[in-house]
Amino acid sequence: MKVAVIGGGISGLGVAYFLAKLGAEVEVFEQKYLLYGASGRNSGGITAQFMDKELIEMALRTMKLYEKLQSEIKFNFLLRKGGYLKLSDNPRELEKEVEYQKSAGLKVKFLSPEDVKEIFPDINTNAFKAASYFKDGAVIFPWPVIWGLAKGCRELGVKIYDWTPAEVVSETEVKVKNEVKKYDVIVNAAGAWSAEINNKLGIKNDLRVVKEEICVTESLRPYIDPYIIHSNGLYLSQSMRGEIVGGIVGKAGEKSLDSSLDFLVKYAKLATKLVPKLRGLSILRQWSGVYDETKNGKPNFGFTGKVFQLNGFGKNGMSLALAYAEKASKEIMKS
Amino acid sequence: MRKVVCRCEDLSEEDIIHAIELGFKDIESLKRFTGAMTGPCQGKGCMMHILRILSQKTGKSVEEIGVTTQRQPVNPVPLYILSGDEK
Repeated sequence: MKVAVIGGGISGLGVAYFLAKLGAEVEVFEQKYLLYGASGRNSGGITAQFMDKELIEMALRTMKLYEKLQSEIKFNFLLRKGGYLKLSDNPRELEKEVEYQKSAGLKVKFLSPEDVKEIFPDINTNAFKAASYFKDGAVIFPWPVIWGLAKGCRELGVKIYDWTPAEVVSETEVKVKNEVKKYDVIVNAAGAWSAEINNKLGIKNDLRVVKEEICVTESLRPYIDPYIIHSNGLYLSQSMRGEIVGGIVGKAGEKSLDSSLDFLVKYAKLATKLVPKLRGLSILRQWSGVYDETKNGKPNFGFTGKVFQLNGFGKNGMSLALAYAEKASKEIMKS
Repeated sequence: MRKVVCRCEDLSEEDIIHAIELGFKDIESLKRFTGAMTGPCQGKGCMMHILRILSQKTGKSVEEIGVTTQRQPVNPVPLYILSGDEK
C-alpha cells in the first residue's frame, strides 16, 4: 500500500503515523514548514464537549491517543489536564447542552458563576451567567505535538517532505517538482487548503475557510488551570510555558494571515472584563491562522474515489484529529 | 563557558547547534522547535546570533536563510492600554 498524504499538520502526520504502523509506505507533502497551518497556530484547547455522540467518542479517543503516543514516541507534548470551561450568557441553552452530553456518557457539569470561582478565583462572575465544566479537558502545546508526530513518523520510515508543494493531478497521481508520482491512495489532509485540492479534482465539498486571530502575553507561573471559552467568542488559557494564550473565535470568509489592531483591542476588552487581574500583563505577540470547517460541524471524512478526505475539523482539530486519523488508517488499509 | 544566545528562553549556542543537527535547518522550524525568538524580545536580541549559527552550520548565506515573520506588537503592550481602560 503506497499512500501520499497532502498536508503535514496533525491530521496528515497522524494518519501517516498510524498507516506506517500498519505497514504502509507513506510520503507526506507539506507546502511550507511543519506548523505553518492551523496545527501550528491554534491555542491547544482539548475537549469532548460536543453535541454529537460520534464527536464525543472521537474526542475521548483522541485524548487517550495523546497519552499513548507521548510515551510511544518518547516526546513530551506538554499536555496539562486542568479542565475545560465553556462559559455562556445563555444558561438555558447551555444546560440543554450539558444534559445531552451527560446522556451521552460524558462527565460534564453545569455550574453557576460562583461554582466557577472555586475553580478559578480570579474570574469575574458578572461576565457570564453559567458554565459547563469538563474536568478531563486539557491544554496541549501544538508545537511539540507536531514535532513528536514527525519524529514518530520518521522512525517508522515515513518520508516527510517539507517546503514541497504537491499538486494532486488525479485521484492517484501527485505532481512534485515536475515529476508525476503514482499512489494507491491520496489523503487530503490539507486543512484550509483542502477545498482547493477537491475543487481541482471536481470532488464536491462544502468546506469553507475561517480566519482566526490569537495572541500571547508574557509568562506567569502557571496558575490558571482550565481552558476557558466564552459564548461571546473569547477564549484563553495558560500554556505550560506560562504564557496566556487567547483569541476570539473567527468568522468564515477571509483567508489572509494578517494580524489586526482591531482584534487586539477587542481581545483586551473581553479578556480584562472576564479576568480583571490580567490588565497589567503585556501582549508579546499576535498572529492569525486559517482552518476549514463543514456546515454540520463534523469533519469531512472518508473515501471520495481513491482520495481519502481527512479535513474539515473546524476549530476542533486538536480535539478530534488523532482519532479520525487512526480510523482513516484502518479504512485505507482495508481498501 | 556557556554562550547564551537567547536570554528570554535561556538557550545557549550549543542548544541551537543541537537543534540544527536534529534537522531543524530553516529559521521557521528552528524557532518553533527551540522557542528562540518567541520570548519578550521577539527575536530582537537573538535572531542575529541564530542567523550566524545557522549560516555557519548549513553553509547558506544569511540572505538565503531569511528572517522569521515579524509579529506585532514591536514591543510588549499591556492589556489595559489596548483596552483603553486607564483606571
